Amino acid sequence: MLEIKNLHVAVDGKEILKGLTLSIQAGEVHAIMGPNGSGKSTLSYVLAGRAGYDITEGSIIYNGEDLVALAPEMRAAKGVFLAMQYPVEIPGVTTMTFLKTALNSQRRARGESDLDAVQVLKLVRAKAKTLNVSEEMLKRALNVGFSGGEKKRLEILQMALFEPKLAILDETDSGLDIDALRLVAEGVNTLRDPSRAMLVITHYQRLLDYIVPDRIHVLAKGRIVAEGGKELALELEAKGYEHIVGQAA
Amino acid sequence: MSGIAVETKEQVAALGEKYKYGFVTDIEMERAPKGLSEDTVRYISAKKGEPEWMLEWRLGAFRRWQAMKEPKWARVHYPKIDYQNAYYYAAPKNTPLKQSLDEVDPKLLETYNKLGIPLHEQMALAGVAVDAVFDSVSVATTFKEKLNEAGVIFCPISEAIRDYPDLVRKYLGSVVPVTDNFFATLNSAVFSDGTFVYVPKGVRCPMELSTYFRINASETGQFERTLIIADEGSYVSYLEGCTAPKRDENQLHAAVVELVALDNAEIKYSTVQNWYPGDENGLGGIYNFVTKRGDCRGKKSKISWTQVETGSAITWKYPSCILRGDDSVGEFYSIAIANHYQQADTGTKMIHLGANTRSRIISKGISAGKAQNTYRGLVSVYGKARNARNYTQCDSLLIGGDCGAHTVPYIESRNKTARIEHEATTSKIAEDQLFYCLARGIPQDEAVSLIVNGFCKEVLQQLPMEFAVEAQKLVGISLEGSVG
Amino acid sequence: MTLAVRKAEAAAVLASHGVPHRRIEEWKYSDLKSALGEAGIGKVMAEWQVDNLPAGIEMFDLAQPNPPAWVLGAFGRSAHNVMSAASLSLSAGGVAFRVPAGAVIADPLKLDFIGPGHVRGLLVLEEGASLTLLEGVGAADFRNVGFEIAIGAGGALEHVRISPDAGDAVLVEEAHVHIAAGGRYRAHFAGFGSKLSRMELEIALEGAGAEAHLSGVSVLDGKRHSDVTTHVIHRHGGTNSSQLFKHVAGGGARAVYQGKVTVAKGANGSDSVQTAKALLLGETAEADLKPELEIFADDVKCAHGAAVGDLDADSLFYLRARGIPEAEARGLLLHAFLEDAVAEIANMDQRELVRSALLSALKAVA
Repeated sequence: MLEIKNLHVAVDGKEILKGLTLSIQAGEVHAIMGPNGSGKSTLSYVLAGRAGYDITEGSIIYNGEDLVALAPEMRAAKGVFLAMQYPVEIPGVTTMTFLKTALNSQRRARGESDLDAVQVLKLVRAKAKTLNVSEEMLKRALNVGFSGGEKKRLEILQMALFEPKLAILDETDSGLDIDALRLVAEGVNTLRDPSRAMLVITHYQRLLDYIVPDRIHVLAKGRIVAEGGKELALELEAKGYEHIVGQAA
Repeated sequence: MSGIAVETKEQVAALGEKYKYGFVTDIEMERAPKGLSEDTVRYISAKKGEPEWMLEWRLGAFRRWQAMKEPKWARVHYPKIDYQNAYYYAAPKNTPLKQSLDEVDPKLLETYNKLGIPLHEQMALAGVAVDAVFDSVSVATTFKEKLNEAGVIFCPISEAIRDYPDLVRKYLGSVVPVTDNFFATLNSAVFSDGTFVYVPKGVRCPMELSTYFRINASETGQFERTLIIADEGSYVSYLEGCTAPKRDENQLHAAVVELVALDNAEIKYSTVQNWYPGDENGLGGIYNFVTKRGDCRGKKSKISWTQVETGSAITWKYPSCILRGDDSVGEFYSIAIANHYQQADTGTKMIHLGANTRSRIISKGISAGKAQNTYRGLVSVYGKARNARNYTQCDSLLIGGDCGAHTVPYIESRNKTARIEHEATTSKIAEDQLFYCLARGIPQDEAVSLIVNGFCKEVLQQLPMEFAVEAQKLVGISLEGSVG
Repeated sequence: MTLAVRKAEAAAVLASHGVPHRRIEEWKYSDLKSALGEAGIGKVMAEWQVDNLPAGIEMFDLAQPNPPAWVLGAFGRSAHNVMSAASLSLSAGGVAFRVPAGAVIADPLKLDFIGPGHVRGLLVLEEGASLTLLEGVGAADFRNVGFEIAIGAGGALEHVRISPDAGDAVLVEEAHVHIAAGGRYRAHFAGFGSKLSRMELEIALEGAGAEAHLSGVSVLDGKRHSDVTTHVIHRHGGTNSSQLFKHVAGGGARAVYQGKVTVAKGANGSDSVQTAKALLLGETAEADLKPELEIFADDVKCAHGAAVGDLDADSLFYLRARGIPEAEARGLLLHAFLEDAVAEIANMDQRELVRSALLSALKAVA
């Protein structure tokens, strides 16, 4: 589904990704781990299409299409979903309004018909319950005044609602306590599907106890320096990044 | 470094007394005849031994000044100034420039000792070069050798006009044009001295540069002219500290300071201003009408102004930055205290012309007694100033119900990618803060000083260390007796 | 002081100052003289109209003779600014309203000022009276409105003024509002600009518990101009004021906000907050903000904030990354930007009116 080949990305003239190669098939869950500053967030932003990231070399092919050529909203319509590490607060836009607008925008781009407010509400309510997202949160302005845990749960709610093909979770566990983590992980696991691929980006091994990956890649200094099965996470936990990175360098 | 601590302690103890600078030195003065005419201008130019082009420049300015009208828009009120009723040049008699301190009139040196700037000790401890100006003529310029080694020129402006005419001609009046405003034009005609600094390419000036001013002779206005040029990649930090004696007639101080920073250069200009503010009944005091402007001419250049203004009967000054070069940065940090009958109308102008320019303004105004304190600021982003960024924070503290604190910010943006943020607050010293201090044994005045210094902390942190301590004490002294 | 004397004084003020131009500090961003050109301010009388006067309100046509005592007592007392002086001395036209003590009028008073020229308005709310005023602004080459509003002790006035895009019009209004102890004035100004549009308010809080809450939005395109200039004076302690103004300027438009807050000596316990924000969307658009504080009392809480910028890039990316196309995302954010100022309008119908006016204006400018 996703083929990244020799990706070089620069931010403000500084090269962050230095030849990253990765491929993910549908139905798979991959994890990317790495020390701070390795380029994890850069990778997720580049996949979602954020401005300010210059692709100087390499390619990203998504379901046979050049992803780089697509605007962010088109990528979303085609099933790319990035659950952000720091979800933005947008005062003045209620969560419900936002969900409805986004959902219908994506449907329109795919040639599907709009859902009306009642239909959207029904859909949202169903998914909101399991994620412990209250009606009250839906009425509030998007992410305004939400705790860290609430923001993350809302991200996963959106994932459930939009039903993406490629879900990228950028440090979804950051700032969460065990209970919140469990809830979020459950939500993610329910969305596992043979037609869906997931890229879980994390610094700590802990999340991967709950969202067990098929493959783990270690990203350091802008490149994948090690790969392995889920045991790799335990090895990293025991020996730290320096060890693995040192070995690879 | 322990030597400095001792020095500072002495200064600090000295500041504990109430305005200790109220005395006059009785050295025979040489004066220009009273009044202001073309002849006065010629007299000054001749006394300074200036070349023809400089005299012409002055005369041009004087003629323009005669046609101008004094500005009336600031929130300050003062009796009409009679420009003819003052002396425009006064110099201690036996003073051509000295090569070493031994040649200096010991009476003058004694004056400087009283002021707290013993040159000998400063030489040994702080490594600060001092250009001590005494009523319009520089008395001693020290550390010439060290600066010469680095290639830094630091001398009185009259000397620079003679020895480095090309440099002076190139930059003088290029930041504050002769026609800029009434007081700048007057200054251009009759400036009597000031500092010239030139830092060559790539040089980081090896020490803080400072100048002390003092007005002595009665009815002599002080018209200092300072020009600082930081060439590509250089750095200089300049400290300006002023003191003046008690007088009954108001004295006019209309200085002009021009700063030029070329590519990748940085100028840090700090001022602690302690001019005589007038007595508790509003009598006497200095009128401080100053034009200060910095031109960030080069790319990635930076100019920062830091000031602690506690003196003067009337203050009118807006140290400003023209952010011309792309990626240039302008900063303004200010504490302005107005007590008794003082009036202050001060602030800054940040003019964003180039792309990615940044400015930061932190202004702390404190009003007490019957004083009026106004912050007047302009942040102007021009059409080509892509991605300009400004942050302004203006806070006013009112002590007592008879004073005034005013904030007049102008925010003008003509580029859609620019971001300007401005915040202002007004408050008073909280009863419970004061009580807490008193309950812990801190007497009232000291408590006020503590609280106010806390209010001003962000600005105080910007001052070079030597001034920071003096400034803190100054803040406390200026507000003695203001609460209760 | 009789009406004739007040008019004469006003004429003198006008004569000595003349039509404001950009060299006058308060008109720095709105050169009225230049906008009017040769035509000047003229002497024509503008018109007014009221749609279905609600029961319980007394109305008097100022062009008629023998004004009642309540008009004589209040009319023409505030004319120290030049344009107020002009409307007072040059116009015999206008309308006055009185809401008697204790009357709570449920239906809004719909008042439109129309046609070119000068016209006056007077609104007196006696003690404990309450009213909603919906003010309409008709297009005209040039109109100058002088409006005086007196809110009695414990009275309450909700005021909504919607000024539609008026092309080449030059429209000036100066409102003087006096609020007695415990009185409340809440006003919203939605403006879509014209060649020169100036809404000036002078609000005096004269007794303890008096409150003024102002909000406004402006969406400007092309070469439109809109200037809201306010001066809130806390004459008495224990008074409260707030201001929230949001501007969106596209094309080569110019949005101006000048808000001065004065706290008089001794007016302790006064509380004042001001927020003015502008978003520039056009290449040659301009925003000029000047929130001014003039404080003579120490036991007060006064703060203001002003900001100019563009739409937040992170917010824009977030919306797009969730599938919302750029143009729609920008629209959502622009609405969000203006929303808190609109939310200040108490009356639901009027809020919707403003919202739909904003909807169409934003579509054009974004």
